[in-house]
Amino acid sequence: MATVDEPLYPIAVLIDELKNEDIQLRLNSIRRLSTIARALGEERTRKELIPFLSENNDDEDEVLLAMAEELGVFIPYVGGVEHAHVLLPPLETLSTVEETCVRDKAVESLCRIGAQMKENDIVDFFIPVVKRLASGEWFTARVSSCGLFHIAYPSATDPLKTELRTIYGQLCQDDMPMVRRAAASNLGKFAATIEQSHLKTEIMSIFDDLTQDDQDSVRLLAVEGCAALGKLLEPQDCVAHILPVIVNFSQDKSWRVRYMVANQLYELCEAVGPEPTRADLVPAYVRLLRDNEAEVRIAAAGKVTKFCRILSPQLAIQHILPCVKELSSDSSQHVRSALASVIMGMAPVLGKDATIEQLLPIFLSLLKDEFPDVRLNIISKLDQVNQVIGIDLLSQSLLPAIVELAEDRHWRVRLAIIEYIPLLASQLGVGFFDDKLGALCMQWLEDKVYSIREAAANNLKRLAEEFGPEWAMQHIIPQVLEKINNPHYLYRMTILQAISFLAPVMGAEITCQKLLPVVINSSKDRVPNIKFNVAKVLQSLVPILDQSVVEKTVKPCLVELSEDPDVDVRYYANQALQACDQIMMSS
Amino acid sequence: MWKGFIGKLSGKAPKSVGGGGGGWGSPPSKSPTSYGANGGQWDPMRSSPPLPVVAGAEGDTREDVFLRKVTVCCVLFDFSTDRVGRDSPERERKRQVLMSLVDCVGAAEEPLTEAMVSACVGMFAINLFRVFPPKVRPGAGGAAEADEDDPFFDPSWYHLQVVYELLLRFVMSPVVDVKVARKYVDNSFISRLLDLLDSDDPRERDCLKTVLHRIYGKFMGNRPFIRKAVSNIIYRFVSEDDHHNGIAELLEVFGSVISGFAKPLKEEHKLFLCKALIPLHKPKAVGMYLPQLTYCITQFIDKEPKLSGTVIRGLLKYWPVTNSQKEMMFLGELEEVLELTEMPEFQKCMVPLFRRVAHCLNSSHFQVAERALYLWNNEHVFNLISRNHQVILPIIYPALERNARLHWNQSVLNVTMNVRKMFFDMDQKLLLACQKKFQEEEEKQAESEERRRLIWEHLERNAAFHQVTGDISFSVVTKSAPLVAPTMT
Repeated sequence: MATVDEPLYPIAVLIDELKNEDIQLRLNSIRRLSTIARALGEERTRKELIPFLSENNDDEDEVLLAMAEELGVFIPYVGGVEHAHVLLPPLETLSTVEETCVRDKAVESLCRIGAQMKENDIVDFFIPVVKRLASGEWFTARVSSCGLFHIAYPSATDPLKTELRTIYGQLCQDDMPMVRRAAASNLGKFAATIEQSHLKTEIMSIFDDLTQDDQDSVRLLAVEGCAALGKLLEPQDCVAHILPVIVNFSQDKSWRVRYMVANQLYELCEAVGPEPTRADLVPAYVRLLRDNEAEVRIAAAGKVTKFCRILSPQLAIQHILPCVKELSSDSSQHVRSALASVIMGMAPVLGKDATIEQLLPIFLSLLKDEFPDVRLNIISKLDQVNQVIGIDLLSQSLLPAIVELAEDRHWRVRLAIIEYIPLLASQLGVGFFDDKLGALCMQWLEDKVYSIREAAANNLKRLAEEFGPEWAMQHIIPQVLEKINNPHYLYRMTILQAISFLAPVMGAEITCQKLLPVVINSSKDRVPNIKFNVAKVLQSLVPILDQSVVEKTVKPCLVELSEDPDVDVRYYANQALQACDQIMMSS
Repeated sequence: MWKGFIGKLSGKAPKSVGGGGGGWGSPPSKSPTSYGANGGQWDPMRSSPPLPVVAGAEGDTREDVFLRKVTVCCVLFDFSTDRVGRDSPERERKRQVLMSLVDCVGAAEEPLTEAMVSACVGMFAINLFRVFPPKVRPGAGGAAEADEDDPFFDPSWYHLQVVYELLLRFVMSPVVDVKVARKYVDNSFISRLLDLLDSDDPRERDCLKTVLHRIYGKFMGNRPFIRKAVSNIIYRFVSEDDHHNGIAELLEVFGSVISGFAKPLKEEHKLFLCKALIPLHKPKAVGMYLPQLTYCITQFIDKEPKLSGTVIRGLLKYWPVTNSQKEMMFLGELEEVLELTEMPEFQKCMVPLFRRVAHCLNSSHFQVAERALYLWNNEHVFNLISRNHQVILPIIYPALERNARLHWNQSVLNVTMNVRKMFFDMDQKLLLACQKKFQEEEEKQAESEERRRLIWEHLERNAAFHQVTGDISFSVVTKSAPLVAPTMT
């Protein structure tokens, strides 16, 4: 037994641990900074621990990252909000290091702390940090500063606000593209805190500069800010300032820029109002839907439902729907797949008649797509269409599609369709399910791939939940139990797994009468893997079963297994026995 | 590669290009800059305007002929699809005109006029500066994944190749006056050339490498800008997006740029080493450019041996934790750097260095362990180690001992024993002392772990006494006295 015969100095413990060669130990001690702080008490944390951390930041990035994270939630340990500012210096240093992850985390923590600080503390302590970082010699400091303005600005006095806006303007024209990119990507957040009058003038001119930057990468981030800025402006200002920019970008020669536009065009529609949307944004969007570059079409197709929700149904039918038809037979499978993942959502937007007349043929053709992802995406959103036109119109095409996916040669595709079976079951109803899909669900239990068998077992549980134990007693349990005689032990194992999944749903009585005997029987299996799985399953059944049953049936079986020649079987049997005892004791 | 295709080109170049062989296609009225923008490119088959004669007319000056040829070359063709006109005569002609320009610049004796220079640079911009297509997504089939690492070959290389050839001639040619050309080959032109280095096509990157090298040599005024722009590319690659195709080429150019730096090194250049080159060890794709990077770094150390300490500490900072392939590369570079390291620098960083080496010795990846052990085979490194064995042996002895007992790989085991023997021969007493210490520590290990656990438990219990304040200020009474009274004895 080790002895601790000298007094403990919490800081000394930390210093000692941080000197250790083993990075894992250093990490652990940083992760327990709060313990040290609590042991020290608030005042000594402020006066000793925090200054110590400020000076000791030449460790490995992983340790620094942990430190940056811990400090973000450290306010309670330094004595509450009024002392929060003592946490700024170490985080300021961490915001200047070279490793991006550490810097980002430090900025995140600074924001978290700044958001809680009192207004005058922000002025006295936080804003000076922002200003120092913004004028930092190395670009890392300036990059970090860009993410802090939105916290600093609201609490600043008027002259300070002017100064902060000016500094941000300078960051947007920084010599280093890294800084300009950071400024561009944080512009939306910062702008959200700025008064309308300045927004229209200063921020818009900053934005204009960024959109004309000679580095593609900077322009690209400026586009990302378009929608955010647009929402902040009054509609007429948005039309005057943002609309021309975005329309221009939608025809940019760089596909990345067009891709960005395609991704967020719908957000601007709300900001500019219906008329400019119809006149400018719809044509721009249609162009993007027909872009030469598949990547752009993928982005545009993925937003088609969101876009239509904003438009009137007539506009959607007149302008967007023809493009959707084209896209449903696009040469790129990824475009079709993106379309299929959202197109079902158009049904509620267009209403029943238009859906039956216009969308249904597209659904059906996508359900027959040669690429399984496309079909899966349609099936996954079935509920959205069901609400509008009912499932009957689709069910005829649905079944072959499901069967084909269920037998797809890629196991991931099979896995995906299994995941949707409970959804399908709830939409299609018991009758359809019994006739057509029940057999498939059983077939998956004997799939070649483990993940599929596991998912199949889990699927049975979800079906039992959906349709109730009585239905399961008729349609699942007998078929499952029959398979316990499969000659291959892996398949027998799946059945054991299915039993452990099903038992909680079926309740004590059925478990005891139907399921338990099968499990007990399997304890005589010749394969050790089955035997120790029996032990595991029995352990999982104990909470469900009556005490008397546990005593009479489960325990004797486990005791027998605990004397098995196989070491693993003995191990799991003993585990299960221990668990039994614990449960018995607690009840 | 470059020389190869120059040879091919000059062999093929038609002799009588300027000799009035009939019509050359001139560009249609549409402004050339609009080509390549979103969508339609000029389809030569659809609109064939009458072809004016480029050369041969009486009274035309050399400049007129040259400019007309350059204008012809400003027309872009769409190579991306197998549409009609794949082998259109216009396309073939453009290539021939380009080649005639190559000859023209190569053979010229009088300097090019400003108009010619300006037109040429404009033509380069139109042909070269383009947006690269997105990476092809892997399809559903497994076939696409297998091809992932295959280089991409730009279909328009048929023209690009000659444009690059012309650009190279242009930059190298004595008839292009730097003072004139500098107005057009400006920072923005160079910056866009640098952007092209991200091309997927290795042939293009190879050409760019040569061109950039020549530009750096010829346009002295742009050198600071080029260095800054390259640093920016590297910063972005390291700290933002982790993808760039042309780092190896950039470093290759910089290898010779660095070897041209004057001694003593300027602060700016050292900053480039510390802030750009050393961090380049971090990205996971370091294998793509490590030889070039190592070359650059050794060039620096060659110029200023004191920098080796900085480099070694940098390597330790970015030392890979889980990637054994990368670890072996680092060991390789480390050896090269150590070769150039002098004793005082070595002594400054040997402690952390050999802690790391000790880790490598114990690697369960036998190649890593082996590579680390081979450091002892290097004469210079061996010399450095043996003269500091008092410090180094205690650090690595535990690693040697652990290998000797547990390492699964026979060859690692053997080499470990050799290294141990070397130390034994060096200083028997010290080795035995280390051995004793190791055994003692081993016995104490469980104890010290237990002790650590107790200390923390202790702290934890003590911490629980102290209330954490939300708003109420709760100050702890104890100020100077030890916080925790010992309870365990």
